[in-house]
Amino acid sequence: MGEGRKIGGPILIVDDISLSFGGVKALQNVSFDVREHEIRAIIGPNGAGKSSMLNVINGVYQPQFGTVTFKGEKRHHVDPHHAAAQGIARTFQNIALFRGMTVLDNIMTGRNLKMRTNFLQQAIWLGPARREELEHRRKVEQVIDFLEIQHIRKTPVGRLPYGLQKRVELGRALAAEPVLFLLDEPMAGMNAEEKQDMCRFILDVNDQFGTTIVLIEHDMGVVMDLSDRVLVLDYGRKIADATPDEVRGDQTVIDAYLGVAH
Amino acid sequence: MFYREAGQFKSTYAGDQQIFPIRQDRIGVALVLFVAFVVVPLTANQYWFSAILTPVLILALATLGLNILTGYAGQLSLGTAAFMAVGAFMAYNFELRLPAGFPIIGSFILAGLCAAAVGIVFGLPSLRIKGFYLAVATLACQFFVLWALQRVGWFSNYSTSGVIAAQKVVMFGYAFDTPRSKYLLTLGIVVVMALLAKNLVRSETGRAFMAVRDMDVAAEVIGIRMMHTKLLAFAISSFYCGVAGALYAFCYLGTVEPEAFNLDLSFRVLFMVIVGGAGSILGSFLGAFFITLLPIFLNIGSGWVAGAFDIEISHALVSNLESMVFGGLIIFFLIVEPLGLARLWQVGKEKLRLWPFPH
Amino acid sequence: MNWQFFIEVLAGGLLAGVMYSLVALGFVLIYKASGVFNFAQGAMVFFAALTFVSLVEHGVNFWLAMLITLSVMVVLAIGIERLVLRPLVNQPPITLFMATIGLTYVLEGLSQMLWGSQPHGLELGIPDEPMEWLSQAANINISQFDLAAALVAGVLVAVLAVFFQKTRIGRALRAVADDHQAALAVGIPLRQIWAIVWAVAGFVALVAGLMWGARNGVQYALTFLALKALPVLILGGFESVAGAIVGGLIIGASEKLAEVYIGPFVGGGIESWFPYVLALLFLLVRPEGLFGERHIDRV
Repeated sequence: MGEGRKIGGPILIVDDISLSFGGVKALQNVSFDVREHEIRAIIGPNGAGKSSMLNVINGVYQPQFGTVTFKGEKRHHVDPHHAAAQGIARTFQNIALFRGMTVLDNIMTGRNLKMRTNFLQQAIWLGPARREELEHRRKVEQVIDFLEIQHIRKTPVGRLPYGLQKRVELGRALAAEPVLFLLDEPMAGMNAEEKQDMCRFILDVNDQFGTTIVLIEHDMGVVMDLSDRVLVLDYGRKIADATPDEVRGDQTVIDAYLGVAH
Repeated sequence: MFYREAGQFKSTYAGDQQIFPIRQDRIGVALVLFVAFVVVPLTANQYWFSAILTPVLILALATLGLNILTGYAGQLSLGTAAFMAVGAFMAYNFELRLPAGFPIIGSFILAGLCAAAVGIVFGLPSLRIKGFYLAVATLACQFFVLWALQRVGWFSNYSTSGVIAAQKVVMFGYAFDTPRSKYLLTLGIVVVMALLAKNLVRSETGRAFMAVRDMDVAAEVIGIRMMHTKLLAFAISSFYCGVAGALYAFCYLGTVEPEAFNLDLSFRVLFMVIVGGAGSILGSFLGAFFITLLPIFLNIGSGWVAGAFDIEISHALVSNLESMVFGGLIIFFLIVEPLGLARLWQVGKEKLRLWPFPH
Repeated sequence: MNWQFFIEVLAGGLLAGVMYSLVALGFVLIYKASGVFNFAQGAMVFFAALTFVSLVEHGVNFWLAMLITLSVMVVLAIGIERLVLRPLVNQPPITLFMATIGLTYVLEGLSQMLWGSQPHGLELGIPDEPMEWLSQAANINISQFDLAAALVAGVLVAVLAVFFQKTRIGRALRAVADDHQAALAVGIPLRQIWAIVWAVAGFVALVAGLMWGARNGVQYALTFLALKALPVLILGGFESVAGAIVGGLIIGASEKLAEVYIGPFVGGGIESWFPYVLALLFLLVRPEGLFGERHIDRV
């Protein structure tokens, strides 16, 4: 479990975020922080607002109230491009891969912020563009090795089974060399063996690269094993925020999952 | 048997990145280029140059442009002909007003840049609207540009009918005034621009285009700038269409009126993209060939039938048949092979790898 | 400012707008029920009008010709459903849109192949003359024909509105428009519904074709007029019958007014692009149209 990994100060501070869609309140006054190098889980029953929370953090949704502070920069409205440039990467619940492209190309798009050549240089190809492409190809191949997907690098992602697609999506996010990783149910729909692999990858990412990880997950075993701290949401509100053991014993959390009226 | 990759391993990423990694492909392409640049000019007759080869190449260039915008970047446009018109008329104006020694290629490039500027302006709506809404917006571009070229006298040097006569194509003292020389000039320009396009689509820009096409929300989240990418797609696409338009006027039609660049031409180029293969450089050429040659085959075919059965087949009938066949082809391809001839070609190649074995 | 002239132009524009609405109605029907943006609606108008007019010219009785044309449109609808829609049922909307572009070409070629390409006149018995009492009383000339067209459109819209809201088939159509899969799940026969919708749209196309044809003659240029229905849809929203009417009125009126009052300063001929640019500007401000529904992208 990452012995010797030092958890630092808060790198992400979510302060009093409220988000509604029309009449639906997705998030209400949620506040929490995420410390550098830690693995933070967000759990809660369906519809609790977990994905919405991630969407607020990297700017896909704009909250009505509240601020998000990342690496000391406080913002009321986060621009997705800026979030990516600051080092936030994420995966999506319903796999947001580019279906028309191969695995290799998909992961290469993750490097786009690090590419400097303009379209004219790329059209000419010889010279700076070719060098840059090869350099980034090397990096991407490292990610491919890490995730053990060499054999499918030229396959169009639309043809891959679900579990492999999730891995490719992880690869695309990894290729960006992020500081903060937002994972939305990375293990949904996987069998036990695939889950083992995914757990291993997540731990390795945290261990080797020191990446801070926020993950939404339903599998309690995974949550207990992987995470340092757990945030529990229910109906858009925070109902618990503590270590896995403390959360496991918390009565409000148990009630929320069992659907006890409150 | 012949088309084998066995033994052709790539040990460097550079090797893997080549446009034609398979040796047989490289030989094939070299052969095609040889035929196009050497054999054809020596053997083809005037009719072939002026009625078939040159227009096919020009339309292939326009198809390439539309493919970049619609096939790669996913922005549907029905205004292709308008960009071609801008290219044609601006090339005419540059030739007219710039000092005599200015090389014609320069006029073509400047004309392309003007078309690119128009493309950026009419591409701005793509930042807020998508799909067929965007298509209808491009119709605004199509109709407005045609109207402007007709009504604003400056564009046609105040000729009463809006018709312009393209000047002689002269570059560095050499006059391209025979169909053969025009064909070679067009071929050269198109091959170079196709190469640039191929490089572009397999580099980061191309990936950004395809990302925007496939899932723009995700693209934004990983850092691809929507505005920049979409407008760049419009600009580059319009540049290609503009150059194609200039070539259309100077190396094909000779005298041009705005009506030559009507909605029907826009649709024709769109058909070339669909039939040839959206998102494919090769497909642009295949589509242009196919759609341009089809009316000719229909004409010849109806001539045979008329002769064989000793009946009269009027021109109107043939042109209506042509409409129906075009429409039917589009529907057919969309149902059977939405990725067009290029995909069929790929499938064919894969079968060829195994030949003569069945699997 | 010559007020009478202004009212004439305005009225003329509004009534022309009603004609656009008639064409747009066909679009809306099909879009509401099958989610397909039928670019071929204009070609259907042309085909219907041409078929009718050719039958009448061959001596067929007016009402019989109507009936025959209607049956032809129904057969056409069934054919389209089977040959175009069914094979493409799971494709993205843009593919279906492009298929309807192909359909346009097929229909245009077919129409002219069957009936020739000369323009035809169409008599409906209503003269295109100003209404006597109005021009006498207020010196304003508004054509009787235009007014009749407006009435026809009004009746058609009312009938369609009742159809959608009150009848079982209408409800089924709305269900299908909302969610194909869900509609299938509750047992709505999707294919039959689609054939019905396209047939109704064919009927609307026939009415529109008759009105347009009587006004401008039945000729190939009819298909271009039908393209004008697209800005109407953008203004009104693709799924709203009311929107088709209101949008048509706005487009028709603004087009005529622009041509008359702005046109002379820029050389005329604005009508060819004004509605599209108007629609474009509108799209930037309110993409879903006046009556449309806003779509939120859920990630």
